[in-house]
Amino acid sequence: MRFNHSNVGLSLRERLDFSRSEKPTMFSLAAMLLCMAAAAVGCNRPADLGKYANLGAADKIRTALVGDAAAAGEGEAEATGTGWATIRGRFIYEGEPPQMPPYQVNKDAATCAPGGQAPQQETLVVDSATKGIANIAIYPRKVSRVHETAGPKTEPFVFDQEQCVFLSHVFAVTVDQPIEIKNSDNVGHNTNITGQNSFNQTIPSGGSSPFTAQREEAFPVSISCSIHPWMRAYMLPRKNSYAAVTAPDGSFEIANLPAGEEIEIQVWHESAAGGNGALYVEGDAAKELKWNDKGRFKIRLEPDEVRELNITVPASAFGG
Amino acid sequence: MENAIGVRTAPRKKKSQSTFNMKSQLPTLTYLIAASALIAIVGCEQAPPPRFQANMVTMVSTETSDPYQQEIANVLAGMFGTPDKPYAFPESGLNQQQLDLAAGSAYSDQEGVSHGLYRKHCVHCHGISGDGRGPTARFLNPYPRDYRQGVFKFKTTYNNGSKPTDDDLHRVMVNGIPGTAMPSFSLLPGSEVESLIEYVKYLAIRGEMEQKLADFVYNDLGETEKLDENGEPILDEDGNEVMERIPLDPASDPEQAQIIKDLLAEVVLPWQEAADSVVVPVEEEIPADDRTAEVIAASVAKGRELFYGTKANCFTCHGPTGLGDGQQTDFDNWNKELNAFVNDTQQMAESLAEREKAEEISEEEQAAIERDYEILANRQAVADTFYPIRNAIPRNLRKGVYRGGRRRIDIFSRIHQGIAGTPMPGVGSASPGAQGTLTEAEIWNLVDYVLSLPYEELSNPQPALTLNEEPIAN
Repeated sequence: MRFNHSNVGLSLRERLDFSRSEKPTMFSLAAMLLCMAAAAVGCNRPADLGKYANLGAADKIRTALVGDAAAAGEGEAEATGTGWATIRGRFIYEGEPPQMPPYQVNKDAATCAPGGQAPQQETLVVDSATKGIANIAIYPRKVSRVHETAGPKTEPFVFDQEQCVFLSHVFAVTVDQPIEIKNSDNVGHNTNITGQNSFNQTIPSGGSSPFTAQREEAFPVSISCSIHPWMRAYMLPRKNSYAAVTAPDGSFEIANLPAGEEIEIQVWHESAAGGNGALYVEGDAAKELKWNDKGRFKIRLEPDEVRELNITVPASAFGG
Repeated sequence: MENAIGVRTAPRKKKSQSTFNMKSQLPTLTYLIAASALIAIVGCEQAPPPRFQANMVTMVSTETSDPYQQEIANVLAGMFGTPDKPYAFPESGLNQQQLDLAAGSAYSDQEGVSHGLYRKHCVHCHGISGDGRGPTARFLNPYPRDYRQGVFKFKTTYNNGSKPTDDDLHRVMVNGIPGTAMPSFSLLPGSEVESLIEYVKYLAIRGEMEQKLADFVYNDLGETEKLDENGEPILDEDGNEVMERIPLDPASDPEQAQIIKDLLAEVVLPWQEAADSVVVPVEEEIPADDRTAEVIAASVAKGRELFYGTKANCFTCHGPTGLGDGQQTDFDNWNKELNAFVNDTQQMAESLAEREKAEEISEEEQAAIERDYEILANRQAVADTFYPIRNAIPRNLRKGVYRGGRRRIDIFSRIHQGIAGTPMPGVGSASPGAQGTLTEAEIWNLVDYVLSLPYEELSNPQPALTLNEEPIAN
């Protein structure tokens, strides 16, 4: 070690001698390189992504926001129609239904994959017989009126887990509806709910924990278990119970929607190709509904109408 | 040794050759030096004052177009000002004087009052925008906190979206976070610490507001059919509806102004309610300070049983010997967001490549593919700025280093409510009055065990700890 050190010392001294002997040119060359490097690097900031505020515009906005210019009135749609109507239908997968691989169970195998057989994944569940697509959430974005049967739910929703799978993969609840988070497994879980109603508690084997969502979400939020990272579910808390989730045969029904006025419907699926899970469908039926790439379409129902919507979804509507 | 000589001699030859050529051009060289020196000196003088950067993960994820990005930046500047001139919006509940003291460039005035505290003490890690991406952030593990989600780990409040109290932030500022790069600022005068806490809240509120504005633009603005005075859609020559963009401009749209104020109220409310959301331990269950060794040992034994039991489940993440070597593949909220962004980007690239392979591509599809490639390029540019994404590694409890503090009450808070923004779940009641997984007495047992863990011999027998780590599917 010591030998090495002295050697490095020598080479350093030699290098110094060397630069001294050719001082003028070497020095200026170095200086030039240094300055050029400084000139090149010093001012070359990383390419800025994004926009910077326009302070003139900002001033105007501040004046408007601080002043009492704000109009009264809620963001809710105005009630213009009367009566109630229903939409129902089915989502059908176009083409060969995908095969879901089993979950990659790497823990608590006796419980989560009894007999070495892990449950199948649920990222895109298509019924092989009917080709119906399950777990599509479909709900009105805003309504002007809520039918008495579509108000907040009070009966408790049981959210259980078995074989390290959440038994309700996609579900809608109403704000303040009691939810009982259960664990029917013989191993412990924790339930981690994201979004504005955050929750992350351990649910012991055979135990349960109460939970209520206190805020409405615009899209379903994910629920996971940190102990068993493959576990996933989605919860959609809404102020009214107009939100539907398609059954295994792809069917859904939303009853008693306000009629006589335009309603915007959101369609969501966890594997949809659109941003935020927006399920975007093309084709004539979709075009007529003005179905856009945010997974939304507009519909106007007559009183007591029952509108049938049968929608064929191509594989390309799902990303990966 | 030989290598060293070899390396040394080779460049000497080269350099002497090249300098020989340079000598004849000395005057030119001098000018060049002068010119580049001038650029080097002058060029940087004109650097613009620090500005808040947009949250590009949010902007690109919500596919917010350039005009909307500009408008969001404008609204934010209207509500919050700039890094040099912050603004305490009346409804934000923030203190203008404290913000003024914390913001701007760092200097001391003639009375010796320090200004620009954030830039003096914090910015090199936490960044101008509070995005946790200051110049040193890349080299730290854990990364500095990105305030813009408004999530803070070490707090005494319920983990249901509640914010930390001022006392919680104060504790972190004064004690630092052991085991991380976050130092203690206990040597700063109290007023300076308070100003910095206010500024951190300001950056957090601003960051959350940015997210809310992007969501609002995505959900409620965008392109809409242009209507004529009768409310009928205007059609172009081909019979298609003419679309127009609804601008985000609260200055001329009072309805938008009201919505934006409502959004701010949503962001600010949990900060105002934080003090009411504190978990108050039941007085009778708090262990006394003068317990005998036997009583403590009994409590440790109970805590130990819970730690390795399936009710509390601590061992599944913290490992069969508490070394933090259990479940290690999850992410905290911050890394999770970036990881999802990267995965989605990759998926998009793959599906685009797949679409291009189609035998027949209609003109419409070709245009759609090109549009998507633009989006992909935007996403990739943002993903390229990320630091390496890291898993959330459970704490090694045998080190005796506790990031949220090592008082019994600190450990109690961590176990009772878990740690916000991380995989660590709570075992206490999820909200006031709710039934928890463990009783508070049991949580105090766990506290005793966790605090004793660093002194427990590793060779102690571990009961019932066969963890199956073999992947069995696929």
